[in-house]
Amino acid sequence: MSEKKTVKKQTEPTRQPVRRFERFHWTLRLAHALLLTSFSLLGITGLPQKFASTGWAQAMIQFFGGIETTRLIHHICAIVLMFLAIYHILDTGYKIFVRRTRMSMLPGIKDVKDAFQAFIYNLGFTKKRPQMGRYTFEEKAEYWALIWGTVIMGITGFMMWNPITTARFLPGEIIPASKAAHGGEALLAVMAIVVWHMYGVHLKRFNKAMFTGKQTEEEMLHEHPLELADIKAGLAERPADPKTLRRRQIIYYPVAGVLAIAMLFGVYGFIGSEKTAITTVLPISSPVPIYVPQTPTPIPTIIAAAVPPGSLTWDASIGAVFQSKCVMCHNATLATNGLSFASYADALRGASDGPVIVPGDANSSKLVQVQSAGGHSGQLSPEELAVVKNWINAGALEK
Amino acid sequence: MLKLISSHRLTFVILVLGFGLVVFALGGLVRPVAASPASAPIQNIVPAQGELPDNAACLFCHEKPGMSRTLPSGETLSLTIDSSHFADSAHKDIACSECHTNIVTFPHPDLQVQTLREFSLQMYTVCQKCHEEQYNKTLDSVHMRAVAAGDTNAAVCTDCHNPHTQPVITDQNGALLPEARLSIPEICARCHSAIYDAYKQSVHGAALTQEGNTDVPTCIDCHGVHNIVDPTTNAFRLQSPQICAKCHTNPAIMDKYGISTQVLNSYVADFHGTTVTLFEKITPDQVTNKPVCFDCHGVHDIKRVDDPVYGLQMKQNLLKACQRCHPDANTSFPDAWMSHYIPSPTHSAIVYYVNLFYKFFIPAVIGSMVIFVLSDIVRRLIERLKGAKHV
Repeated sequence: MSEKKTVKKQTEPTRQPVRRFERFHWTLRLAHALLLTSFSLLGITGLPQKFASTGWAQAMIQFFGGIETTRLIHHICAIVLMFLAIYHILDTGYKIFVRRTRMSMLPGIKDVKDAFQAFIYNLGFTKKRPQMGRYTFEEKAEYWALIWGTVIMGITGFMMWNPITTARFLPGEIIPASKAAHGGEALLAVMAIVVWHMYGVHLKRFNKAMFTGKQTEEEMLHEHPLELADIKAGLAERPADPKTLRRRQIIYYPVAGVLAIAMLFGVYGFIGSEKTAITTVLPISSPVPIYVPQTPTPIPTIIAAAVPPGSLTWDASIGAVFQSKCVMCHNATLATNGLSFASYADALRGASDGPVIVPGDANSSKLVQVQSAGGHSGQLSPEELAVVKNWINAGALEK
Repeated sequence: MLKLISSHRLTFVILVLGFGLVVFALGGLVRPVAASPASAPIQNIVPAQGELPDNAACLFCHEKPGMSRTLPSGETLSLTIDSSHFADSAHKDIACSECHTNIVTFPHPDLQVQTLREFSLQMYTVCQKCHEEQYNKTLDSVHMRAVAAGDTNAAVCTDCHNPHTQPVITDQNGALLPEARLSIPEICARCHSAIYDAYKQSVHGAALTQEGNTDVPTCIDCHGVHNIVDPTTNAFRLQSPQICAKCHTNPAIMDKYGISTQVLNSYVADFHGTTVTLFEKITPDQVTNKPVCFDCHGVHDIKRVDDPVYGLQMKQNLLKACQRCHPDANTSFPDAWMSHYIPSPTHSAIVYYVNLFYKFFIPAVIGSMVIFVLSDIVRRLIERLKGAKHV
C-alpha cells in the first residue's frame, strides 16, 4: 500500500506456491456454521414477533406456519445456541488451561488505539493503517458483542420462557422488562451483523477463512501482520510436551465433565421447568347457564285473562269464560246459528233452533252436549267446562 | 154479475193470500239467513275477491278483550289485539291479512297447530316478505341454527319483535334510537334471564338499567342483532377483543369516564394479546386458552377495575385471574402484566428504562458502526482509484 502508483495492477506476482496458514480448526468452522444457522433463524423468527402488528411480520409468521410454529423454531434455535455456548465454554477452557494458548481474543488498550488509528487513517489524518495481530479490533468487537448478546438473550429468554419461576425470585415486572431487552438486543444484534459483519468479512473483501479454515500469506500480511511475524519468529504457539499436556488433561476433563453436566441440566431446566399455562383447561365462555327462560315458552301475544275465581254466577265468573272462548263467533253481530253469548239474556235465549242452556240440568243443555263431544272451534278447557256445568246445575244464575 | 163480482173477489182474495204466502215464504227463507254469517254487516266486512279485508273489520271482533282459543295442547292462544298498542306500532298501516294470509273470510279456517309454539314457528316466516335483509341475516344466526336442529325454544322473529306492538326503533337512516337500546336486554332476558341477572350487576348493565346510560353496550352490541353468532366458538373467542375495542378505543366515549383508550394496544403488545391477534389473523378457528378481555374482566358480569370487591386493580383479584391458567403463580407474578399501562417512569419503570436504554444504545452502536464503515468504504475507494492493488 505504501508503494506508489507506478506499480500497476498485476495478476499473480510469482509462480511460487502460495503458503497458507491455518486460521480456524474444523470444529470452530462447524460451530460457526451452526451459529450462523441458528442466529439467522432466531432473527427471522424473532423479529416478526417483536413487530407482530405489522403486515410483513404477519406474512412471515404465516409463512412459518403460524405463531406457535414460529415460536417452536425460535425455541429450537435457542437450544442449539445454548449447546453452542456450552461447547464454546468448554473448548475455550481447554485452550486456556490445557493448551495454554495465547488469549488473543482478549481486548486491550491496543485495540482502542487500533480502532482510533484505523478511523483517522480512513479520514486521511495518518498515513499508516494499524498493524494488528491474530484478531483485529473489528473481530474482537464482534466476538465480544456476540458474547454480550448471547448472555443477555439467554437471561432474558429464560425469564420469558419461565415467567413463574422468575417471579419467585424477582419482581414480576422483570418479565416484560426482559421482553423489552430481548427485543432491543435482537434488533441491535441483527443490525450489527448486517452493518459490521457483512461489511467486514463479505463486502470489504470476501474473507473465506471461516469456510476454508486457511488464509494465504498475503492475506495474513495485510490483515494480521503481527500474527504473521510471530508465526515466522516461532512465537505464536508454544506447544507443551506430551507429558505435561497429558497431566493437564487428566485434571481438565473431569472438571469439564462436571461443568458440562451442570450446564446441560441448566438447559434442561430452561426448556422443561414450566408448563402450567399450556396444560390448563380452556376457560368457560359463560359462568351462568345460557338458556333460562322467564316464561316456560315465550309467546308473542298477550296471555288471555284466566277464569276469575268467585261465586258461580254469570257476572262473577261465567260471563268471562264465554267472553274469552265463545263471543268471537257467538256475538250480537255474528250470532252464529243465531246464538250469542254477548250477554246473559242472549245466552239464555239460545240459538235459532232453541235454547242451549237448561238451568238446573247441565246434561240436557245443548251447550254442554256440544262441548262434551269436543272439537268445537271455541272449545272450553276441561276445567272451564266443569265450571260451566256446575253453574248450569246451580240454576245458571246471572247474579 | 154477482158471479163476476164474486169471481173478482175470489181472485182478489187469492191474490192477497198468494202474496201473503209468498211474503210468508220469503220471510221464512230470509229470517234464518239474516242470522247467518252472510248477513248484512258481514257483507260490508268481507271484501271483494282479491282485496284484503280492512283492519277495522278484523279489529271489530279482535279488539274485544279476552278472546282466545284453547289449543289441543291445552294452552290458550289469545286472539285479542290491543288496538291502541297496535296503532302505535310500526305495523299500524299494514293489513292484518298481509301476515295472516290465510284469514280473509269468515268463518276463519281452523288453526292447524297443536301448541302455541307451533303457531309462532308457523307464523314467523311471513316477516321476510317485508324484512328480507333482517330475515336472511337470522338464517345464519345461532337461534335459527338451533331451530333448524329441532330446538323449538330458540328465538324466532316474533319472540323479540311482537308484531302487534313492536314500535319503530330506528331513525330515518336505520340507526337504532337511543331509547330503544334501554329495552334490549329485557327482550333477550325472556330466554336468557340468568345472563341478564349477571349483566344487571355488571358495570355496563347497571349503568343501562339503573341510570339509563346508552353509552354502555347492550346485548346486541357484542353479540350482533339478527345474525347473532354462537359466542362459544373459537372464532368468536379470538375476535372478541375487537368487540370490546369498538368502544374502548373510542375517545369520544372513553374520555367521558376517564378510561384509557390504550387497552387494546397494551393487550396486543403483550404475550397473550399478540398470540390471540395472530391466531385470529392466521388461523381464525384455532383453539386457545390464551386469555381474551372477558377471561379477566368477566363475561356478562364485567366489573369496574376499581370495584371494592371484584376489581382487578386489587392485587389478589388479579392474582386469582392469573392463577386460573397459571396455578403456580405467586404474588409477584401479576406484575408481569403491565395492567394496560404504557410503560412510564411511574408505571412499569424497569420496562420504561430498558426501552429508553435501547432507544439510545441501538442508534449509538449502529451509528458508530455505520460511520466507521462509511469511512472505510471511502478510504478504500480512494486507494483503489489511486491504483493500490490490495484494498
